[in-house]
Amino acid sequence: MRKLIKDWGGIITAFTLLILVRIFLPLPFTIEILIFAIYTMGLNFLLGRLGFISFGQPAYLAAGAYSTAIYLFYFGSNPYIGFLVGILGGLILTLIIGPIFVRLRSDYFALVNLALSVIFFFILQKALKNITHGDNGLWYLTKMSSTPFLDLGKPNDFFIFTFFITLLIWILFKYIDRTIFGASCLATKTNEDKLKFLGYSNFKIRWFSFSLANTVTATAGSLYAIYFGFISPSVTEPARAADVVVVTLLGGLGTLYGPLVGSFVYTGLKDLVSGIITHWELVIGILLVVIMLAGEKGIWGTIQPLLKKVQLRITGKEA
Amino acid sequence: MNVQLLISSIIFGLSIGSIYFLLAIGLSLCFGLMRIISLDQLLYYSIGAYITYTILTFIGSFWIGLLVAMIVAASVSLIVEKLVFKRIYEKAITFTMITSFGILLAGVGIIKYIWGLVPRPVPSPIHKQIILLGTEVPLYRVIVILIAIFIYIDIWLFLNKTIVGKAIRAGIEDAEKVEGLGINVYWLFTLTFLIAGGLSGLGGGLHTPLIMVDPHMGLEMIPFVFMVVIIGGLGSIKGTLISSLIVGQVISLGALIWAPLSNMAPFAIMILILIVKPTGLYGSKLLKR
Repeated sequence: MRKLIKDWGGIITAFTLLILVRIFLPLPFTIEILIFAIYTMGLNFLLGRLGFISFGQPAYLAAGAYSTAIYLFYFGSNPYIGFLVGILGGLILTLIIGPIFVRLRSDYFALVNLALSVIFFFILQKALKNITHGDNGLWYLTKMSSTPFLDLGKPNDFFIFTFFITLLIWILFKYIDRTIFGASCLATKTNEDKLKFLGYSNFKIRWFSFSLANTVTATAGSLYAIYFGFISPSVTEPARAADVVVVTLLGGLGTLYGPLVGSFVYTGLKDLVSGIITHWELVIGILLVVIMLAGEKGIWGTIQPLLKKVQLRITGKEA
Repeated sequence: MNVQLLISSIIFGLSIGSIYFLLAIGLSLCFGLMRIISLDQLLYYSIGAYITYTILTFIGSFWIGLLVAMIVAASVSLIVEKLVFKRIYEKAITFTMITSFGILLAGVGIIKYIWGLVPRPVPSPIHKQIILLGTEVPLYRVIVILIAIFIYIDIWLFLNKTIVGKAIRAGIEDAEKVEGLGINVYWLFTLTFLIAGGLSGLGGGLHTPLIMVDPHMGLEMIPFVFMVVIIGGLGSIKGTLISSLIVGQVISLGALIWAPLSNMAPFAIMILILIVKPTGLYGSKLLKR
């Protein structure tokens, strides 16, 4: 029992706090936090476990969002199927481009990803204009049919659905951390030669984790598409590429709670600051530089040692 | 295909390639010597463009504007280097990339405050057309190409014939040994950063008559400059020259065949080259020291 509390106590607290947030703060705010947390978890895994920085996350977000949107606009009306189509779209894209991308050195990887997201923007805005309707975007909010159980068209039910998806993905990443796969991911980051010596394939590990991380990102995109009932190419704008990197670093790189803390702080900050300052880029840019110069530990990375100290003191007194 | 159309679009491609070269050379030099990816070069590009625009509006001379733009861009890069980069030269490459992207975004925010959101047109300083191989070509584009060639020769002479340039080249090979010889490497870093910033500013100023000046111009340039740098291989000057020629031609000839191809064809070429050679055409296996 004690072990169970030790392992899961943190996350129960975190998600209880989220429910409290839901009660006291407006619903759209909470939903945005949740979706952003999923979005961030993908990059957090990629950057924290594999050491690959990607400024191209909007491309994978758009892959999920547009797969869902095109399904809902042209083919069907069930949002659940749309959600699955979005995840599938992300999975297929990452499986195809994965083998090319993960062979690259981490600096090339970052450059190529950013280029990819801009190309996605061009494709969605201009080249596939007949399908995506260019800048006008796709509107399908009224087309989504209501389902008997957990109607995704209703914000409240959508919140519950997103809440469980977030929890599920969080548990997945926690589980991965304990498996050999999780350990070998970290090993490719620190010393790939030794891992090769042990008989593992760096390429396969990277490919699989790249696909996993970006499928999670595509899931976030799919949720966005269902929530707004509208999608336009602006999701892949180059100026937005830094958002998710900022949140990952703000929360604390490579930590499990980082994405939750980071997206809460970031979304709150955005709400507060955008009333005062109109040009959001300035704030993001300065925030990014300050976090990096302060030692790239992020909020969770800073408070975690303090929490541990407190925990040790309490348990020490009990024992 | 019409021969005249072909020649004019080759000239167009060369002039675009020249601008890319001016920007990519800074990124490439910074990577080679300091092992940083300095995305803020795109900020100096935007600053160069805006200063050229401002001087042109107030004084009326494009060429003075270009000169001032170069100086201002270089001084801004000097300030940024002293404030930020001096602290992070030793850090991992992804670290410098994130930080410089932050600087770029902050800079775009400041530009929006000073000059506003509205895109501004800049008239071409030379309206004359010249006849080249039986085709009418705008003289301005030819001048852009000539300036880029001039800069390439200058950089080549600087790196190969002067003692400071030789020190920089030695630093690209092994910075620690250069330091061991009693040369102040950090001074070389500052100098290289200054040159890179100035060239980016020049590229921005030269690009203004060909496009509109708007706050997002730096962000829009990112993918193309990246493609040039990646195809050529980070840290190689010869590679940067060749790949900027390739990318320029692919863009203009691609647009001749089918308009959306101009944006996507370079990307396809980049992917192809990366499949064959993951370090780019002339890239070596330079790693973080």
